[in-house]
Amino acid sequence: MIKERFFNKWVFLLLLSIPAIGIIFNEPYYITLATKVIILGIAGVGLNLALGYGGLISFGHAAFFGIGGYVAAIMSYHALNEELLFEIPLAISGSSEMLIIWPLAIVISAFFSLLIGLLSLRTSGVYFIMITLAFAQMLYYFSISWPSYGGEDGLSMHMRNTLPFINTMNPLNFFLICLAWFFIAIFITSKLINSPYGMALQATKQNEERVKSVGIETFKVKLIVFVFSGAITGLAGSLYADLNRFVSPSMLNWHTSGEIMVFVILGGIARLYGPLLGASFFIILEQTLGLYTENWQFWLGLILILEIIFARSGIMGLFDKKNKL
Amino acid sequence: MNNKILNITNLSKSFGAFKVTDEISIDLKFNEIHALIGPNGAGKSTLIKQIVGTVKHDMGSIILDQEDITDLNDVERAKIGISRTFQVSSIIPKFTALENIVLSLLERSQKTFQLFKSLNSNSKLFSEAKEILLQIELEDRRKVIASELSHGERRKLEVGLALAMKPKVFLFDEPMAGLDETGTKMMINLFQRIKLNSPILLIEHDMDAVFALADRVSVIVYGKIVASGTVKEIKANPIVHDVYLGYEIT
Ligand SMILES: Nc1ncnc2c1ncn2[C@@H]1O[C@H](COP(=O)(O)OP(=O)(O)OP(=O)(O)O)[C@@H](O)[C@H]1O
Ligand SMILES: [Mg+2]
Repeated sequence: MIKERFFNKWVFLLLLSIPAIGIIFNEPYYITLATKVIILGIAGVGLNLALGYGGLISFGHAAFFGIGGYVAAIMSYHALNEELLFEIPLAISGSSEMLIIWPLAIVISAFFSLLIGLLSLRTSGVYFIMITLAFAQMLYYFSISWPSYGGEDGLSMHMRNTLPFINTMNPLNFFLICLAWFFIAIFITSKLINSPYGMALQATKQNEERVKSVGIETFKVKLIVFVFSGAITGLAGSLYADLNRFVSPSMLNWHTSGEIMVFVILGGIARLYGPLLGASFFIILEQTLGLYTENWQFWLGLILILEIIFARSGIMGLFDKKNKL
Repeated sequence: MNNKILNITNLSKSFGAFKVTDEISIDLKFNEIHALIGPNGAGKSTLIKQIVGTVKHDMGSIILDQEDITDLNDVERAKIGISRTFQVSSIIPKFTALENIVLSLLERSQKTFQLFKSLNSNSKLFSEAKEILLQIELEDRRKVIASELSHGERRKLEVGLALAMKPKVFLFDEPMAGLDETGTKMMINLFQRIKLNSPILLIEHDMDAVFALADRVSVIVYGKIVASGTVKEIKANPIVHDVYLGYEIT
């Protein structure tokens, strides 16, 4: 653990140095890139909770990422055109306040996680993978065919949502906001996995039959982690919408689910900071190899295969040999 | 009105046309060890699985402590006081011996759904778990990852997991299989003590252990109970001799 902590510090310092370089050389693009890494890292932290610690191989986390994104974009859209979002049963108007949008993104993605979890957690293994995928694809096709919010073309936001006293359009400010959320996500995750509940969760991953035999409702255990997981990934989605000031159905596409899963696996399953490392690595590959070849994902695939054969516990595992729970 | 804590009536289960348990009626009284013996494939483990609820029965009823639990699922049954060991050790491989026991304590101490409190701050859980490890003579192995425990140590841990639940009844599926002599002795002593709190339905192939421990013995063959009685009666029963052809019952 000492080694992993030490390593985490370095990753963190490196990440901070990127926006610093961006400022010094007046290249805001780097700041945006680092922000993207952080947000994708948050999405990965969310998935890691279910996949890494709970053993729930969800291939549908794009659903929550996309829901979070659309919440942010739709709210801001209605704030701009001053049309009501709903008239019945409550008159709800849009808002461009992040302080309203964030809780809403969390609650709505948690609600969808609960629904999807209730229906899919009765299954396991391949069936679970397929059902979560199917739910996410349903939402994907729904977003394509829903013309009010851009359909296939997606929905642009004319400006970033706002916070009191802070200019969110400033790249560095927005980077720091996302970084704060990243640490909140990490904090919640570490609280959860180190609690009695976390013990039940990690035991369920290893031997569900045994956990049931000592009287623990494993279904409830899994449902809770799935909801937290979906909510965190949903929040990441809303930040991602604000980063790009744009959402489109591609956020809900299975590619996105796959990418979030790649962050988790690359970084090291069930490692607290693994997803951040995975996301960094992914973006670095995209930014470097991507310059030379459009098929950079071929190399990513190769790396993944090598990892699965030789370094099961991901990049983190290379630095910290200690076997984790 | 009665001295039976577990009462099973006409429990049956078929896999296809094959009747694994055939109208089995068996009970457990307070403070007793009731041994269930029978040849391989007789349906002993399947009976346990039906009592704990992981195999759905086709017919019959199960009463635990005056309460009909026939319609409860496996987790609910475990919660209200049935705990079992597995014939093939089933533990949490990456947890230490101590953590395995703590897991088993969670539900009884209502900690399972403490989401944000640190597990390590629950020092009572850990001290209670250590006491249980003492009882099964694994205290000095508490920090060992369960998958690295020896076969015999895992058998003990199985029993420890059941003990931690403080159930109303124990169902032990060959707890002594593969244990050495000292291990078996330890188990015999342990069972004699714990049966005073919760009776034990004991499946065991080790006849010496069975005869040393059992207050009653039932013999199951092809899913049917063919004989039931005290150790003395069973030893004298000619049917049992036929079933255990070749085994010297002395
Ligand atoms: N799920 C199942 N499907 C089909 N047949 C099964 C199933 N489970 C058990 N059986 C069969 O039921 C019979 C009884 O099995 P069971 O495990 O209850 O025997 P047992 O008395 O515990 O034997 P042993 O002493 O070898 O442990 C065996 O013939 C077994 O093959
Ligand atoms: Mg058996």
